[in-house]
This record gives sequence, C-alpha cells and structure tokens, in this order.
Amino acid sequence: MADIKLAFVIQRPPYKSETSTLGFTHAISYQVVEMLLEDGQNVIPTVCLVGEGVLNLIKDQKAMENYGVTSVESHGKNSLLVDLDMLVCKEDMERFGLAEDRLLDAEDMGADKKLQIVPYAEIQKVLEDSNHLLFF
Amino acid sequence: MKLGVFVNDYKSTVETVERLTAEKLGLIFIQNGVFHAALKENGKPSPLLDKTGNLYALSEDLATRGLTAADVDSRVKVVTYSDVVDLIFNDYEKLAWL
Repeated sequence: MADIKLAFVIQRPPYKSETSTLGFTHAISYQVVEMLLEDGQNVIPTVCLVGEGVLNLIKDQKAMENYGVTSVESHGKNSLLVDLDMLVCKEDMERFGLAEDRLLDAEDMGADKKLQIVPYAEIQKVLEDSNHLLFF
Repeated sequence: MKLGVFVNDYKSTVETVERLTAEKLGLIFIQNGVFHAALKENGKPSPLLDKTGNLYALSEDLATRGLTAADVDSRVKVVTYSDVVDLIFNDYEKLAWL
C-alpha cells in the first residue's frame, strides 16, 4: 500500500501571526494521521520553507525573553528532532542575504537531521510528488 | 503635520508608506517591520529607508527574530520601548499604525 506524502509549505514570516508556527506544529503532529490509515501505511512529511518563510529559521531568537512565548526557532528545532525533512529554498536565502550560518540547527538537542538548503526546483519536485499540499 | 508611522509588517505596508507625505515623517519599525531595517532583499535595502531620515527599529523585536544591531542599516536608529514612548510624546503629534 502506498505511503501518504505530505508537504507542509511555510511561506509566511514569524510572529506577526501564528501561521508559520502552525505549519511547524502540524508537521510535527503528522504521526497522529497514521492512526487513521491502513496497517503498514505511513505518512511521509516534508517541511518546505519558501519566500518569507525562510525568516522563521534565523537562530538565536529571543521570543521568550521579549514576548514570553516559545520561539519559532524552538518549533523548527523540534521539527528536526522528530526527524522531519526540512527543505529551505536556496534562492530565497540569497534574496534575503542570509548565510547558512545564520540558520538554526538542533545539534544541542541531539537531533541527527539538519536543514537542507536546496534550489527551488528540488522543492517543486517534492510538491509534485506529494499527495497533499498544506500551505501556511 | 508630524506623523509617526508604526510599520509592523514586512511586505504589505510598502506602497502605503511610499504615498505618505508629512512635514516631519518618522518610521518606527516594530514587530515584523524590523525586517525592513535589517534585510537587504536582492542586495538592496528596503525602499522605505529612502523615505525619511527619521528611522527607528525596536531592539526587542529585532532580538526576538534573531537579529542584532549589526544587521541594521546604518540609517536606522535602534531604540528601546522607552525610547519609543519618548518619540510618541515628544516628536510626533499624530501616529499611524500600519
């Protein structure tokens, strides 16, 4: 039985609304969906960050100190911790002048996964291969 | 008219601000508006930075987004909440929130 592929596309910047945070939390909770599937059928999620969505990944966010809320950075790190594939649009990083070392990682939490900075064409392929697209 | 404009979003406010005129115009970048002060999209600073010489960015909102004063364009003054209160009471007679 074919697996179900989900693409979570985060395109909005952080904090102005809950939109990007919801993208991460929905992606993290993908396992819940598996309860509704046939035995042996799996969900394969991929988080794609495009456009202003890449701004969610800037590290050293001080949201708890200033807003008293969990940072979007923490949600991104938790996504890596649960082994989600996270694709970051290379062209959009260049557009905003963001170097790779400005982005978060979750090594300190013991995550094996890392952000994957890829050309948009690769993200497009993920979108085409997915059964469902969820935009945030 | 002395108009202080709180710019709290990144993209949607550009056209509106570009049309505004005032004897003294101040742009106070807060929330996601701070990206105007810190990002150089395609190597170019935000067009809003050419609008006036009175540019401010809230330090707390920069830090929340992982940005520092070093990221901010040299034309923009990084300010605290307390500084913003002073701007409101001392420098601008009208305020707008975009």
